[in-house]
Amino acid sequence: MDQETISQLKNIDWFDELSDDMLAGLAQKILKRTLKKDEVLFQKGDEGNSLFIINSGWVKVIARDTQGSDIVLNQVGAGEIIGEMALLDNEPRSAGVVALEKTEVLELKRVDFMEILKQQPDLALSVIRNFSSRMRYNTSYIEKITEMSKRVAKGDYSFIGETQASQKGIKQVSDQDKIGQLLAEFFAMVQGVKSREDDLKNQVEKLTLQIDESQLKEELDEITGTDFYVKLKDQAKKLREQRLDNK
Amino acid sequence: MGKIVSIHSFRGGTGKSNSTANLAAHVALAGKRVGVVDTDIQSPGIHVLFGLDESSMGKTLNDFLNGKCEIKDVAFNIGENVGSDEGRAQLAGKDIWLFPSSIRGSDISQILRKGYDVNLLNTGLQTLMKEFDLDYLFIDTHPGLNEETLLSIAISDVLIIILRPDNQDFQGTAVTVHIARSLDVPNLLLMVNKAVPGTDLDDLTKQIEAAFKTSPIGILPLNFELASNGSKDLFSLSNPEHDWSKGIRKIAEVILSIP
Ligand SMILES: Nc1ncnc2c1ncn2[C@@H]1O[C@H](COP(=O)(O)OP(=O)(O)O)[C@@H](O)[C@H]1O
Ligand SMILES: [Mg+2]
Repeated sequence: MDQETISQLKNIDWFDELSDDMLAGLAQKILKRTLKKDEVLFQKGDEGNSLFIINSGWVKVIARDTQGSDIVLNQVGAGEIIGEMALLDNEPRSAGVVALEKTEVLELKRVDFMEILKQQPDLALSVIRNFSSRMRYNTSYIEKITEMSKRVAKGDYSFIGETQASQKGIKQVSDQDKIGQLLAEFFAMVQGVKSREDDLKNQVEKLTLQIDESQLKEELDEITGTDFYVKLKDQAKKLREQRLDNK
Repeated sequence: MGKIVSIHSFRGGTGKSNSTANLAAHVALAGKRVGVVDTDIQSPGIHVLFGLDESSMGKTLNDFLNGKCEIKDVAFNIGENVGSDEGRAQLAGKDIWLFPSSIRGSDISQILRKGYDVNLLNTGLQTLMKEFDLDYLFIDTHPGLNEETLLSIAISDVLIIILRPDNQDFQGTAVTVHIARSLDVPNLLLMVNKAVPGTDLDDLTKQIEAAFKTSPIGILPLNFELASNGSKDLFSLSNPEHDWSKGIRKIAEVILSIP
């Protein structure tokens, strides 16, 4: 039994609820691999059939943009998991992973993971619990974002102040937490929108309305110079008085 | 003695028709006998706010100006034809009549081509005030300062000029204000409509006072709900809590308080 591997697994929040026995069973199935700098762990589109735990070093998660050059989506370091969805679904890899430096990874293959699950229903329960708590956590953020989007649409930015504290918390965990990252981005966006709106308001507030006096005089002369106007001015008072008499 | 209240703006699309209809409605709700004339013959619009369309429209101001009918035949009794729209329905049984302009393309082009006798319009307005025993006659005017608009300004007891807070309207409003003063209109009221959110109201008030030597009687906000309701109902009656509606009610109070 590899005690080192067990303690490494214990540090991963996915497995932190497992008993030592379960972890021992898991550790037996773990393969250790060492990646050289720039070595590709997997590419986008590869069959996804195992999960990796970064034990030491750093990897980058990359996607190819439309011009064909790589863009880095994320950097992942020791203690983090990549490709975990591959344990449950059979989808191809959604992004590629390349080592940024010499990196040690622990690999757990789906077939082995499934085998352990069959033998240890408790492990299955624990994984399910882990998944559902992540889901709930994510859902709560989605709800938050939905709620805040509605407020932004109405021009209500008051929540920026209210949520400042928790936003900081989110930033700290955001490396592992894409939803947290989304929320942080969302905040950055809302703040950007608000400051642009404030600028605009300032411009509106400073709007100075002006009357061009010579143009005004020209326009007045044009109207008051007509026969119609001269007659009208003459009659205006009479017209009003006439009506009063009629009543 | 009845009062003529003309509502004017330098440009179209300022909110003249919506303001006129809503103001007239509040004055009618206060128990007054109210007439509303659409003298915006080139681009009539206020009929929509009172639920009239081409099929329900009977005789029009155009028929009167063409000598085809009497002015009383043009009247559409709003209080007896309120329909089911939430706002307008509140006018049931009130004494309020609309004198609409024709919305038929051929009628409009004919009157533009041949023109009409402004004096006849004047006679018509004076007659309907008498025959309907009106306390208030609201005139929704054509933007700009053509002859019939000058006439309605000249005969007004109250002239409400609506402007948007921008330079073009400021310039145009300056002309109308001068004309109205030169015609001795007894009550000249300025109302701002479509003020964008964040407008510095005090500053705008000061600028208006400096430019026109009178305070605005109201600065009404840009109202997205009003814009999306497509002028189909009387917004201030269906949405009384909105700031725009409160502004309208305040102005209606001002009109009612003029001795
Ligand atoms: N305060 C306002 N905020 C937003 N839209 C408005 C406002 N007042 C009027 N509108 C809209 O502007 C357009 C023109 O209004 P209308 O009353 O027909 O103006 P006018 O008679 O001066 O041409 C209409 O679509 C109307 O719904
Ligand atoms: Mg109009």
